[in-house]
Amino acid sequence: MDPAERGDLFDLVHESIVVRDLAGRITAWNAASAALYGWSADDALGRAAADLLGGEAPEADLLATGRWDGELRRRAADGRELVVEARWTLRRDATGQPREIIETARDITERRQAETALRHSEYRYRNLFQAMAASFWELDFAPVGLMLRQLRKSGVSDYAAYFAANPAFVREMIRVTEVLAVNEESVKLFGDGDASALLGPCDRFWPEGSSDVYAASVVAAVSGRPSFSRETRLRTLDGREFDAHFTACFPPESVADGKLLIGVIDISKRVLAQRQLHDLQAEFAHAARVSMLGELTASIAHEVNQPLAAISTNASAGMRWLSRAEPDLDELRGINTRVVADAQRAAAIIARVRDMAMRRTPEAQALSVNAVVEEALMFLRHESQGKGVAIDLALGADLPDVLADRTQLQQVVVNLTANAIQAMGAAEGPREIRVTTALDGDGRVAVTVSDTGPGVTPENLPRLFDSFFTTKAEGMGMGLPICRSIIETHGGAIWARNNGDGPGACFAFTLPAAHA
Amino acid sequence: MTVADPLISVVEDDESLRQAVVGLVRSLGYRVAAYANAEDFLAADGGRASDCVITDIQMPGLSGIDLKLRLIADGVRTPVIMVTARAEPALHQKAMASGACCLLRKPFTAEALIECLDQALAA
Repeated sequence: MDPAERGDLFDLVHESIVVRDLAGRITAWNAASAALYGWSADDALGRAAADLLGGEAPEADLLATGRWDGELRRRAADGRELVVEARWTLRRDATGQPREIIETARDITERRQAETALRHSEYRYRNLFQAMAASFWELDFAPVGLMLRQLRKSGVSDYAAYFAANPAFVREMIRVTEVLAVNEESVKLFGDGDASALLGPCDRFWPEGSSDVYAASVVAAVSGRPSFSRETRLRTLDGREFDAHFTACFPPESVADGKLLIGVIDISKRVLAQRQLHDLQAEFAHAARVSMLGELTASIAHEVNQPLAAISTNASAGMRWLSRAEPDLDELRGINTRVVADAQRAAAIIARVRDMAMRRTPEAQALSVNAVVEEALMFLRHESQGKGVAIDLALGADLPDVLADRTQLQQVVVNLTANAIQAMGAAEGPREIRVTTALDGDGRVAVTVSDTGPGVTPENLPRLFDSFFTTKAEGMGMGLPICRSIIETHGGAIWARNNGDGPGACFAFTLPAAHA
Repeated sequence: MTVADPLISVVEDDESLRQAVVGLVRSLGYRVAAYANAEDFLAADGGRASDCVITDIQMPGLSGIDLKLRLIADGVRTPVIMVTARAEPALHQKAMASGACCLLRKPFTAEALIECLDQALAA
């Protein structure tokens, strides 16, 4: 093709135009070709196209039909691989003989690469979706989006509050959420062998009791959080409920699309193991309490005996006043009041002992640590007096409550204080225990039991809380390990150290403050 | 009750028991002074002021036996009746050895107390 024939347009078009003769030698090469392949017209003209660019297609079709189009793999001057979309046209001379081939082409390398990456990504995603050992669900969230928009229109802005007040609305959201796809693991976990049985409304898998978790996940989604996860209970197709860890992802593009990906992991075995561990721990704690009560029998008997002795003495005095010629009614009234108070006191002590001895499921409630400490020391008053040990209470003012089982917390205080009394059994010098309650720097409530005994030898210090470690002839070595398990179950920490500024040891524990 | 009636001091740390013993002693026609611990009693020189002392043995701080020993050391011979909830013979021996004129086990009857008081005041 002569330059005269092709005009200005040849170098102005964006597509690469390459003309070659039937021997394959390049006879025309426009500016777009130079830009695409990196060869100038001088480099290219006269060269064999197949040598210069590679990636030739069969020319048989071309000769037969006069046209060919398709993708070609080409090589640029700098060695880069290119994918081009090419169109060949056969030009003939006046006699109808083939004369030259005109190729127009454009670079589709990037588009192909993006498509390949997308295909790989989809493939990986599908593989993951299917092969992961977790249950995955794809949900159609669009009807819920519609409900939320209507809600917004009607003036509701606080979704969380609205959901809490309208459980029926939440159920309806769950019902209109459609299961679009599930993986194999979901079929194993929820179904009976057929994935299609799981498709459709979501409410079959959500027990009423778990509606709040669904509501919370919706709140998380609309507030723009990237994901949401919570432990909850879900239901299989045949109606069996199980403990599950539920995760929902909200990639913005999927949310806009009304699609939601959720993952479910069956944690029922873990929950069961935790429950068994708790039961076992509660049983150990109970056994330790009963054993501790046994050691404190004399002290407890004394505590009950005091009000009984007072009642008996009051009754004797009452008899005296009654047997006078003119009974002194004022004295008798005073005596009667005191008898009632003492009987109540005796009953209260017995109730506390019974609570300590009873085996029941631990129950966390908001407690005043100061009250628990004072009650606990009742068990030890006689014991400490008998051993000539003074117990000094330094209770912090305005402490926040802690969330704990009353009996177990008392058990810890009794155990630590009883240990301190025992530690000073043989010691010379001052015999003082200081029980302190205070707020620590991190807002936790700290209880400290400090004694003036011989302290703990440094090599024993790290082993004190180990099971069956004891320095006492008659000790089992379970008291402190059980204290630790009780405190740790309540989210706290317990430790021991020797007093730096005087004799004796100091045992301390902290518990998180209960939030009102 | 007149100033001539004997004054009995009651030393007992348990408040309700102290009130009860005070009431009982008053019902017997004596004057009573009450102390929550041995330290207060000694500080008030209760030994010299009273005709007889009824004291608990187990108390925080000084015990009833310590109280008696202090009185002896100070040359105060006021008779001391000791009260205890404990049953150990060793404690009883220790109490008697310190010079207690009488030992009562809690809870005690009016008759037992009267007998002890009679014995103490006659001495």
